[in-house]
Amino acid sequence: MDNLSELLHGFTIAVTVPHLALMVVGVLLGILVGVLPGLGAPNGVSLLLPLTFGMQPVSAIILLSSMYWGALFGGSVTSILFNIPGEPSSVATTFDGYPMARDGRPTTALATAFGSAAFGALVGVILITFLASWVAQVALAFGPPEYFAVYFLAFASFVGMGGAAPMKTVVALAIGFAIAAIGIDTVSGSVRLTMGIDELVKGVNFVVAVMGLFGIGELLVAVEEEFHARAVSSKIDWREVFRAVGRLPRHSVALLRSAAIGCWMGITPGGPTAASFMSYGIARRFSRRGRYFGTGEVEGIISPETADHAAGTSALLPMLSLGIPGSATAAVMMGGLMIWGLNPGPMLFVDQKDFVWGLIASMYVGNIVAVALVLLTVPVFAALMRIPFVVIAPLIVIICVVGAYSVSNSYLDVVMMLGFGVVGYLFKKLFYPLAPLVLAIVIGDKAEDAFRQSMLMSKGSLGIFFANKLVTCLVLAGIVLLLMPLALQLFARIFRKSASPRTTNQEKVII
Amino acid sequence: MISRRALELATAILTGSFGVAVAVQSLDNGIGWSSEGVESGTFPFLTGIIIVAGSLYNLVRGAVPAASLANVPTAITSIELRRLAGLFVPAAIFVAAIPLLGMYIASAAYVFAVLAIPRHQSVVRSVVTAAATALALYVVFERMFQVSLPHGALAAALGF
Repeated sequence: MDNLSELLHGFTIAVTVPHLALMVVGVLLGILVGVLPGLGAPNGVSLLLPLTFGMQPVSAIILLSSMYWGALFGGSVTSILFNIPGEPSSVATTFDGYPMARDGRPTTALATAFGSAAFGALVGVILITFLASWVAQVALAFGPPEYFAVYFLAFASFVGMGGAAPMKTVVALAIGFAIAAIGIDTVSGSVRLTMGIDELVKGVNFVVAVMGLFGIGELLVAVEEEFHARAVSSKIDWREVFRAVGRLPRHSVALLRSAAIGCWMGITPGGPTAASFMSYGIARRFSRRGRYFGTGEVEGIISPETADHAAGTSALLPMLSLGIPGSATAAVMMGGLMIWGLNPGPMLFVDQKDFVWGLIASMYVGNIVAVALVLLTVPVFAALMRIPFVVIAPLIVIICVVGAYSVSNSYLDVVMMLGFGVVGYLFKKLFYPLAPLVLAIVIGDKAEDAFRQSMLMSKGSLGIFFANKLVTCLVLAGIVLLLMPLALQLFARIFRKSASPRTTNQEKVII
Repeated sequence: MISRRALELATAILTGSFGVAVAVQSLDNGIGWSSEGVESGTFPFLTGIIIVAGSLYNLVRGAVPAASLANVPTAITSIELRRLAGLFVPAAIFVAAIPLLGMYIASAAYVFAVLAIPRHQSVVRSVVTAAATALALYVVFERMFQVSLPHGALAAALGF
């Protein structure tokens, strides 16, 4: 019950007037970036990062995480009302959310989405409350080999479970590692991979990459499709809100299953996008009304929304307790932690109790604030979508340019950001996953350090990764995950000669 | 019109050449084992090799017409390509103009150009939006957060 008293202490930190005000600001900004196509949670959070440098770390993380919740909710609003996913993770919500709204039940669709999203988030936070400090305690005994094994497991699970083509994930990850290696090597102090450009000695900041990959890249994808925001009515009927939420318990199986999928995908870094697609796919297969999916089914909204938010929330668990973020946004937040002078990982639970438990308590409060605010502001943000895209697009370009520049007042960063934009567009178009790329940029150095320290300990023998039970299990689990796509393919080839699983889950749904 | 296959191939070649560059560059730092442990080029060298290997796989995968790819033979239609260029080309010109014009003038000119030239908005409205953008940038960054955005060579020459 230690956790509960710590949590209560956390509430005394989170529930103060300035922190509640930060939550409101964060959530509103989050909904804004969630609603606008081309701006998402990862670059929203990176844009806010410079503003948090003067703040207390706990206030800063409350602001950033509230923004994350807001963005998760905001993405669903446009998915349902306009059939335009504001966030990649809410693509699956359009499949049934928009048809239901078009049928004249926008309030039902929105309330169902928010209700199940809140449930998913709640499950994620409860998981963090009870599991995070335990995981951190275990991780306190970790040495470099164990750390490298955990990093390896995280990267392997992207390949095995991320939902994208395995080889594309491997390429994305390796590119991230290479980008992380640019600049001064933290171990030997030598300069690496600058390609003859002196300015690259300082390395490539992850914010620059995020601005380009997620900002410009997403904008380019969005501009391809002509935007006619044919909105359905965005009026909220408050009685229907409560009735729709009241009907949710009838779908408790779908809720619990989706929350479980979400938590699993959040902790093992599969990310919210993969979680929502997977949950939707599984619901369509197992629901009694599966063949009506796509026409405005309630469970077609519940499943992706619950999983999306459960994954988004639980992605913070490995970030806090191991220093491995479970999603792209969590990776950006972790970058923030390091800038504020905190060392993400198990020591946080020992040294920074106020920070950790203040954050966890704020997740409970922040999500309640987010649900209330998003319901209240639906008409306002829906009106925002009526501003023509041609006006919004250049403004987003300017925001990304200024955001990239202000990281270290470097013009080269702006040019690189634009380059990352092109890469982001190509990758999105061809279903290369972006989250592992960002993750590798943020923690690539740490993974490499862990590897090299282990090698120093063992004088160059790889046997150190099989030296004790724990590290052996982690490494083996990682190898299994790496080989899983290959095994599945072989399995499919032996038993069903004709149908080879060439399209990934996400591609199947989109096609 | 750009086919999905062409796009797959181009991307695989792009990632592959990055991988080659990474692997070749890291040779300078030494790969392998020295008295100080793993040399600093080793890890990047390995990632470079992985990128090259993965890109080769994706290249072959992209070149072979697969059942799933046949469903979406076209990745970008010519209309979409025009829309893409319509967004990207002005953005690239904007970025290229920053060192000369500075952030404020460049962004105002950029907003004005993309709104007024294709006649999305009237000239008056475009001017107002452009001016408001530059002003907002100035107030938020230069005043509120004390971040100095580039003023440009032109402003420097004029003595600002």
